[in-house]
Amino acid sequence: MDFEFNDDQEQLRDAVRRWVDKGYTFERRQGIAESGGFDRKAYGELAELGLTGLYIAEEDGGMGMGPVEGMVVMEELGRGMVLEPLAQTLIAGGVLGAYAPRELKATWLAKIASGEALVVLAQQERKARYRLDVCETQAAQAGSGWTINGAKSVVPAGDQADAFLVPAKANGNIALFLVERTASGVHTRGYGTQEGGRAAEVTFKSAPASLVTNDGLTALEHAVDIGIAATCAEAVGVLDKTMAVTVEYMNTRKQFGVTLSTFQALRHRVADMKMQLELARSMSYYASLKLNAPPQDRRRAMARAKYQLGASMRFIGQNSVQLHGGIGVTDEYIGSHYFKKLTQLELCFGDTLHHLGEVSERMQDTAGVFA
Amino acid sequence: MDLSFTPEEQKFREEIRTWVRASLPKEISHKVHNALRLSRDDMQRWARILGQKGWLGYGWPQQFGGPGWNAIQKHLFEEECALAGAPRIVPFGPVMVAPVIMAFGSPEQQQRFLPGIASGEVWWSQGYSEPGSGSDLASLKTRAERRGDKYIVNGQKTWTTLAQYGDWIFCLVRTSTEGKPQTGISFLLIDMKSPGVTVRPITLLDGEKEVNEVFFDNVEVPAENLIGEENKGWTYAKHLLSHERTNIADVNRAKRELERLKRIAKAEGVYEASQGGPDAARFRDEIAKLEVDIVALEMLVLRVLSAEKSGKNSLDIAGLLKIRGSEIQQRYSELMMLAAGPYALPFIEEAMEAGWQGEFVGAAHCAPLASTYFNLRKTTIYGGSNEVQRNIVAQVVLG
Repeated sequence: MDFEFNDDQEQLRDAVRRWVDKGYTFERRQGIAESGGFDRKAYGELAELGLTGLYIAEEDGGMGMGPVEGMVVMEELGRGMVLEPLAQTLIAGGVLGAYAPRELKATWLAKIASGEALVVLAQQERKARYRLDVCETQAAQAGSGWTINGAKSVVPAGDQADAFLVPAKANGNIALFLVERTASGVHTRGYGTQEGGRAAEVTFKSAPASLVTNDGLTALEHAVDIGIAATCAEAVGVLDKTMAVTVEYMNTRKQFGVTLSTFQALRHRVADMKMQLELARSMSYYASLKLNAPPQDRRRAMARAKYQLGASMRFIGQNSVQLHGGIGVTDEYIGSHYFKKLTQLELCFGDTLHHLGEVSERMQDTAGVFA
Repeated sequence: MDLSFTPEEQKFREEIRTWVRASLPKEISHKVHNALRLSRDDMQRWARILGQKGWLGYGWPQQFGGPGWNAIQKHLFEEECALAGAPRIVPFGPVMVAPVIMAFGSPEQQQRFLPGIASGEVWWSQGYSEPGSGSDLASLKTRAERRGDKYIVNGQKTWTTLAQYGDWIFCLVRTSTEGKPQTGISFLLIDMKSPGVTVRPITLLDGEKEVNEVFFDNVEVPAENLIGEENKGWTYAKHLLSHERTNIADVNRAKRELERLKRIAKAEGVYEASQGGPDAARFRDEIAKLEVDIVALEMLVLRVLSAEKSGKNSLDIAGLLKIRGSEIQQRYSELMMLAAGPYALPFIEEAMEAGWQGEFVGAAHCAPLASTYFNLRKTTIYGGSNEVQRNIVAQVVLG
């Protein structure tokens, strides 16, 4: 039982924080948001820090690190509301490393680690909402390879990525494929997202694909769980900053001749926000520390964590805006962007109600962290 | 970072578990698991068993005869006791006054009072709240006037938990009216058999007599019963409040009670969505929410323990633990009562006693549910109300 970070983890945190503070200022971020929501150069800077190879084994060209390092990095990126989707890269590294055949790993992992290739999960379908077992995209064997037909939605940086991890039905079962964006029959329609990032609708018409694994649902669940743990950590970073700007504002802004922080009604709301922040941080730890648990245990833990984080993000985000008053709803003020980021993170990898349902489905007679 | 306990910690847990299984009387754990009424004898019997093992003062350092456990070991001990259905240790002696006597008492006071606390022979009560001093505790008025080698105590304490069983009571008393209210308070140990002490039980909304009024009418207290210095009592009391940080959340009991809630919900047909009416799925979701709340609280507690063990960072979140722990206690009792629905309504006092041979309405598990729900409303009020706790949390965050 130990929740302290070791020296290497602290150094990693410092390095990412330095880059965020100096290299990814709010001005730069807003510039990226305005010019489409994804900057290949900024993504390259993440790669230079080694972050794109975090979950890729050293022999495959990566850093070979684990969920706690992933959590540390995502918290820091959250503090800077970084738009380039590193969570997707963690998924790609983790899933290809665990499930892909040797040739596919040899082709892709080193390129992902170096930042040369961005690979993202193209999973969302119109009829699925947050269900992972609902999949209409079809895969068919074509000679020694496969082709894919179907459409995926809200794919992160979908028109910028180099390849997609695509769940598709093969002989009635969900399998996982890798499809290159420039392959024939792949069409993307990119757009901005609410937080300022980028996503795309991606369609596949007899697009050539490489099989990652026939056990697609297992791999997809694993992928989404990596995404949930990363999202929880990212959220904690955003929540920390949201609290900080709220506290600063309350100690500066005066009404009725005194600072807002003197009013008990507002102070109690801040106490409730602090409660949600610490519960969120606790459950983000829980998610990352459970990421390598056996699948059943892991899935249940991720559902619990994302439920808590979702509730905390909504509470702190909405109350932060309210405590700021008018300035909180302006585009100019950084706080409104924290709020939009939190809102977007709640809707990623399953929202709060979805995960309440998951917790409810998976509930057992015993209870607690170790049950 | 590591979520699992070390092999040594696991072994320690096993030892505790084995001992508790063998030593906790079944008739007592039966009452605890079923929320039946515990008698003074039940509570003291368990205290004496722990005392003989040297574990009633399980948080004590070795120099005072305690086991000298670290924060994690204490947590594991509490958890094993809770899950086994042990009664909560009545905290006023071993958990509350003993650390104050250790830190601020004289060697004579330590030799005189600590053995009786450690063995479970002497029952202590806590004399803090007064009719006019609840959340604003420092406004307390019970006076202690020094006359020669005695204090003469006059005044009234209230909400004194289980004082009807008390042998001794530790009190905050006013010894000066000068300066700030906090600076005129002293910490006094009073023998409850002294002439002039009157205890009057207060019947609470659940019909139980759990708390009391304690009156002091010209009670003579030897001056040697003063802890530390006169007018420094507030400092000592604050030490006491800061002493118990994680136990206050009571997360281990919450885990046990969540399991009971699931058993009750199952029996009442509101656990499996497929086996009940339209409310079953909603009810199950409410249990699921509570389960996440409890896991999150447990993680919060473990973070505090880890910080204490490492000594690196301290987490100043005792207020959060109190708020969340008490809210969760109220919530599980509320859901248990709601699970029973109309069968929570009959009020048959004898059904609260173990071994009652009468006919239950509905099922035996329904009988105590409403009473427990009513009883646990206290948790957000006592120990510094949750609103006071929010003030403290806000102070830390906002300055």
